[in-house]
Amino acid sequence: MKREAGRFFWVAVSLGLLSLLLVGSWLAPERLSPVEMDAAGLGFANAYLMPWEYPPFGTDERGVPLLDYALQGARIVTVPALVSGVVVMLFSVLAGLVRCAGVGWLDGALQGASELVGALPRLVVVLVVALLLPKEWRVLMPIGLTWALLAAPGAMDEAAATAGRLGGERFVEALRAHGFGAVRIYLYHVVWLNLRPVIVRQGAEVMMQVVFLEIALSYMTVATNVPDITHSASTVSWAQLLYHGYTALIGGRDLFHALALGLGLLALVGAMTQSFRLAARAR
Amino acid sequence: MNWWVRPSLRVASALLLPFIVPAVIIGALWALPGDPALNLCSPPSCNPEKLAEHWGLDQGPVVFYQEWFAKAVLLDFGKSWQVLQGFSVTELLKESFPVTAGLMVLSMIPLLAASFAAAMGAMPRRLDIGWQGLGLIPAVILALFFDAWLRITYGEQDLTGTRMAFGAVVLGLADGTLSGAIVGTRSVLEEEVKQRYVQIAVMRGESSLSNTLPNVLPALVGQFRARLLTILSGAVIVEVVLGLPGLGSLLWDGTLSQDFGVVLAATFAFSILSGVVLLVQGLIEVGVSMYTRRSPDVAMVGPVDA
Repeated sequence: MKREAGRFFWVAVSLGLLSLLLVGSWLAPERLSPVEMDAAGLGFANAYLMPWEYPPFGTDERGVPLLDYALQGARIVTVPALVSGVVVMLFSVLAGLVRCAGVGWLDGALQGASELVGALPRLVVVLVVALLLPKEWRVLMPIGLTWALLAAPGAMDEAAATAGRLGGERFVEALRAHGFGAVRIYLYHVVWLNLRPVIVRQGAEVMMQVVFLEIALSYMTVATNVPDITHSASTVSWAQLLYHGYTALIGGRDLFHALALGLGLLALVGAMTQSFRLAARAR
Repeated sequence: MNWWVRPSLRVASALLLPFIVPAVIIGALWALPGDPALNLCSPPSCNPEKLAEHWGLDQGPVVFYQEWFAKAVLLDFGKSWQVLQGFSVTELLKESFPVTAGLMVLSMIPLLAASFAAAMGAMPRRLDIGWQGLGLIPAVILALFFDAWLRITYGEQDLTGTRMAFGAVVLGLADGTLSGAIVGTRSVLEEEVKQRYVQIAVMRGESSLSNTLPNVLPALVGQFRARLLTILSGAVIVEVVLGLPGLGSLLWDGTLSQDFGVVLAATFAFSILSGVVLLVQGLIEVGVSMYTRRSPDVAMVGPVDA
């Protein structure tokens, strides 16, 4: 009973955090708030304000609210990360079902393909995809999907191993002997009751990885002062907050609150992943 | 499935990887809508006709692949189109390859040491939560902090060696590599030690590790390869953020400046590194399987007469 209550708690936390990201991305402004000059016309109005001076997160060096950064960053990452997570989950389900169905040739083919796809460093492939994509397609979705495809072999391997430990074909046979239909056996007994922890954890981890990937790629473009490859020029990523923090660290500018916000947003994504994992853990 | 199928697939994949990766990239370039030359260089900043002529992009993917690969085998990757115009790509690779290989080797040291300590039971279990928490930090964040610290402490001094050491620390700690090495090694060994054959071997006075090691080695090597791939992937981020002139940096520059020759060559180099790692795993698996399957030296004992 206590364990079930714990599960419901983590389900609520994970869905709450995901909703927060979805609402944030929905509320995100198309463009950053316009920059205003101060009364003397020599500097920016509201620049470098702390969170308690300009709630909720303060402002940057031009007086732009950091809330805009947080919301726009959420818009860039939420949907692509979610879709990538779902893609990995679907691949894991497929691998688990194939192992249970005992389709030997398909199982072998999947393992062979996984071996090749999983043999390459993911970021290298992502960069090649970014090079090949036409400029107008350079957003996070194709990059996230590429990451999901590259992460799929590991997830599939784990799902297939879990299905194998379950008994594979023999497990299905035993349930058939109990008179259950194929849909109930595969979707309820195999996927929902037994593969769920692995599938949800893998999906949540890939979601987190896609968010971190976006931040890494955007940070590198910001740090090397080149055009972004994960979003349009009119939007800003959470990486911009980290870069503000970096300039605060090396230059002593009053932007440590930007660094704190950037790290806080990363922690939020990490917490969401952990809570999904805990919500779906095995009984 | 026969024992040799999976290792054979690994060895075959390792040998095919350097052939397949450039083929897939070239195939993808032609599969995308539009002229390949136009996709790589948009006027007026770049002249697609000149690029097509320079790279032979006007001859179709098969001819392009054949010619590129024939030259690549002889370590001739042509001249850079954008990154360092007119500079030999082979020279760029020669300069950057040792940096990435060095980063890989350096970052493997803490991982191997941690795995060994975990196998020996020298890593306290209560510290796992700390390692796992550290592993949640993305490489870009750790690299950012190290870069800031280096800039504050040493200014703009040329510190390639120090930066490499910090890069190796980042790659060793971030993205769950170190925590995976500790927890992964320990859990694999703990599961195996529960097996009956190990308990009997211990009762016979043999050591637990000598009995379990051949059986867990394929799993440990598999885990280690996955960590090396994570390190190779993270090397791109670490090299760019810490300003190290490695393969990852080269690939990043090539991608941003759309220098197809540089990207193809850097990816080829990465595929060789990955192939070598995969090949080592496959060969270890084959070796271990042959060792554990060979007949025992003692004569088989037949049924005992009553």
